[in-house]
Amino acid sequence: MAPKSKASSKAAPIPESKAEPPPETVGERSTQRFYKTNILQKRCEEAGLAALTPAEKKTYSHAQLIIPVSQDRVPLSTKAEREYWKQVSKENLPIRRLRRNYDWGHDRQGRQLDTYRLAEFEERSLKQARLAALDIVHRRFLAKRDKARKEGSELPAEDVAEEKSTRAAMAVLRKELYGKITGPLAQDPKWDDVVPIPQAEPEDALARIAYPDDYAEAVSYLRAVMATEELSERCLRLTQLVINMNPAHYTVWLYRFRIVKALELPILDEIEWLNRVALQNLKNYQIWHHRQLLLDYYLPSISSDPVSVKKLAKSETDFISRILEEDTKNYHVWSYRQYLVGKLELWTPAELGAAQNMIEDDVRNNSAWSHRFFVVFSNPREATPGSLPTATDLKVSTATIDRELAYAKEKIALAPQNQSSWNYLRGVLVKSGRDFTTLDEFTEQFVSGLGEESEDVKSSHALDLLAEIYKAKGDKEKAKLCLERLAAKWDPVREGYWKYQIAELEK
Amino acid sequence: MSATSQPSGLPILATDAHVNYIQSLDTKKDELDYWLTEHLRINGLYWGLTALHLLNRPDALPRQETIDFVLSCQHDNGGFGAAPGHDAHMLSTVSAVQILAMADGFDDLEAKGKGKQQVGNYIANLQNRETGTFSGDEWGEEDTRFLYGALNALSLLGLLSLADVDKAVSYVVSCTNHDGGYGVRPGAESHSGQIFTCVATLAIAQRLDLVDKEKLGRWLSERQVPCGGLNGRPEKQEDVCYSWWVLSSLKIIDLVHWIDREALIRFILSCQDKESGGISDRPNNRVDVWHTCFGLAGLSLLGYPDMETVDPVYCMPKPVIKRILG
Repeated sequence: MAPKSKASSKAAPIPESKAEPPPETVGERSTQRFYKTNILQKRCEEAGLAALTPAEKKTYSHAQLIIPVSQDRVPLSTKAEREYWKQVSKENLPIRRLRRNYDWGHDRQGRQLDTYRLAEFEERSLKQARLAALDIVHRRFLAKRDKARKEGSELPAEDVAEEKSTRAAMAVLRKELYGKITGPLAQDPKWDDVVPIPQAEPEDALARIAYPDDYAEAVSYLRAVMATEELSERCLRLTQLVINMNPAHYTVWLYRFRIVKALELPILDEIEWLNRVALQNLKNYQIWHHRQLLLDYYLPSISSDPVSVKKLAKSETDFISRILEEDTKNYHVWSYRQYLVGKLELWTPAELGAAQNMIEDDVRNNSAWSHRFFVVFSNPREATPGSLPTATDLKVSTATIDRELAYAKEKIALAPQNQSSWNYLRGVLVKSGRDFTTLDEFTEQFVSGLGEESEDVKSSHALDLLAEIYKAKGDKEKAKLCLERLAAKWDPVREGYWKYQIAELEK
Repeated sequence: MSATSQPSGLPILATDAHVNYIQSLDTKKDELDYWLTEHLRINGLYWGLTALHLLNRPDALPRQETIDFVLSCQHDNGGFGAAPGHDAHMLSTVSAVQILAMADGFDDLEAKGKGKQQVGNYIANLQNRETGTFSGDEWGEEDTRFLYGALNALSLLGLLSLADVDKAVSYVVSCTNHDGGYGVRPGAESHSGQIFTCVATLAIAQRLDLVDKEKLGRWLSERQVPCGGLNGRPEKQEDVCYSWWVLSSLKIIDLVHWIDREALIRFILSCQDKESGGISDRPNNRVDVWHTCFGLAGLSLLGYPDMETVDPVYCMPKPVIKRILG
């Protein structure tokens, strides 16, 4: 029931106060409406109670008094109630009036809705209406799908695609209106049967708001499908989604391998995909373990076909070369390469050449030197199988030993202060069983005028080796001088080590 | 004594800042990194707790909560995941055992968890009885890190007999390289991290006689570069974490004096964030709990004043190891 006409015989009509400007915000409009239904309130506030006529005063105070009754805060007997309504009607009291300070609530940013401009508010209401309409469409889809499934069929792809766009639109609206995030998986009808398992974290509002949404959603679906051990096409895509966001998540890799096996996916396709991931994540080692699992699984199926094995070796080494261009000393890649050489028996000139190319590019690449040593001295056709890298192996031919010594010497001449090439030289010498003293002439060329004013040392490693050579030859004095000069000038950071060697000398 | 150096003339370690930094780690849930490193949660707790012990502030993390969190990561098979709901893995299981050891929580493991024996069985079952190696989980990724972790945890549990230690030792020996170091598998390049896992494994197995100490010590001492820091491989950049991998290996073979102690202390301290706490890989880089733990462990090994002594084999406080192993 609308409030009755303001014109009443008892309550004198009030002259319109100066015309109000139209409201701009929701709050202003509410205030204006409040005064429109509380006619005397404004005059009383502006001019004071004393300025009202006696009739107005009576109406005003009666109007205040009826509030507790109209709000049912004061229970009346039936008779009193009848009297009460009679009076209200007679006085034409404004009983159906608006209350002050209506709470419109706030939006997702915490902004009070009554500060919204009217046009903004209308836009918001329209969005709410659109969301409600989309929700009806969405529910219709669910009902249709249920019905179809009961009849043993699935809805056509167009329907599913349409539902997807409905949900996408709903997600946008929900986010805009309420700040609720609907991730891409929740928007995809193909995932409707999975109830995601979010990470159990303490109830902490801050943490929940700031959780990276898409990642959190993907991982919570991952937990759900792993719990039911589902191995399907969509799970494969889900693992890709998680890996793209966080390739260090080791569990997802293992799960992916299980899916690849269960679905009998072409291994070469998986490797192809893996190449792209590897190039984007150079420091990740799960990728290389996954690759090794794939290879171990795949090889038996082609081992009787030498052409396929050769092709695989070629594509693998090509890719390794490609990735080593990006990161020449990557430990995971090199260690995979050693696995590959053993597995595919790549004790070949090409493999040796690959390591050599890397050394030519950067003579200080210790990984490449190390690989060369492996390819030469672990080759079962040339070396004693199982011979440790630290052990002499007389099975290795003189020609090979000479070739490797010459190679190391050539590279030392290029960069005398390079640890890698000196270490290699020593390693080859141990393998050969030859005496260190055979290197005296070569080594001496990097040192001149030791202990004299003209002292010139092109390599502390040479000086170090010379100390050993002199010691082996029994020339303690010369050996001691080398060690003293190392401690004093050419490698003082390792003073402790050189002092130890000097003490050993004097034993 | 000035405000920036010790009486010994060494720079000051910002102990309080480091303690605050570690305590704050679990409150950074509004940062993406926190979630992306969920698969390392329990390892992170081990690094943080070890660092606090070395700073002589073992109570800076609530003990019972720590134990309860660790036990909430345990599976029926005895293994531990990195966080509740994560699959069990060797590395998180080792961290769990180490944390429980430090927090004196083995009784809780018996009463509220699945018990020591079950943990030991989980680890021992991951050993490849033919090669001696251990895999990280049921999927078979094999790595000398797992081998070391397995022996570390089994010995703390007093269950070393569950593993074939001789086989493990011979695998480690097969990873030896011509330069005296060790790689991740036979033939793989020597790497300081792998050397630590191999040498510490041999120490637990009481087979240090198999190490060519002079050759290895020579290679390890060559890791020190002119700025005082240590690198992990020849011709690579220095990094605080190698203060642990290289140094602990040198300590185990008793040759720490082959490097310049003071230069390394200065390098590590130049990587600390004195205001907000934490240590980074190199000066002025971003700190993280991993480098913080190993930087502090390095300082402890170098005998920096007022720190708890670290055990070079277990990377845990020495008194804890003494309490457990006697």
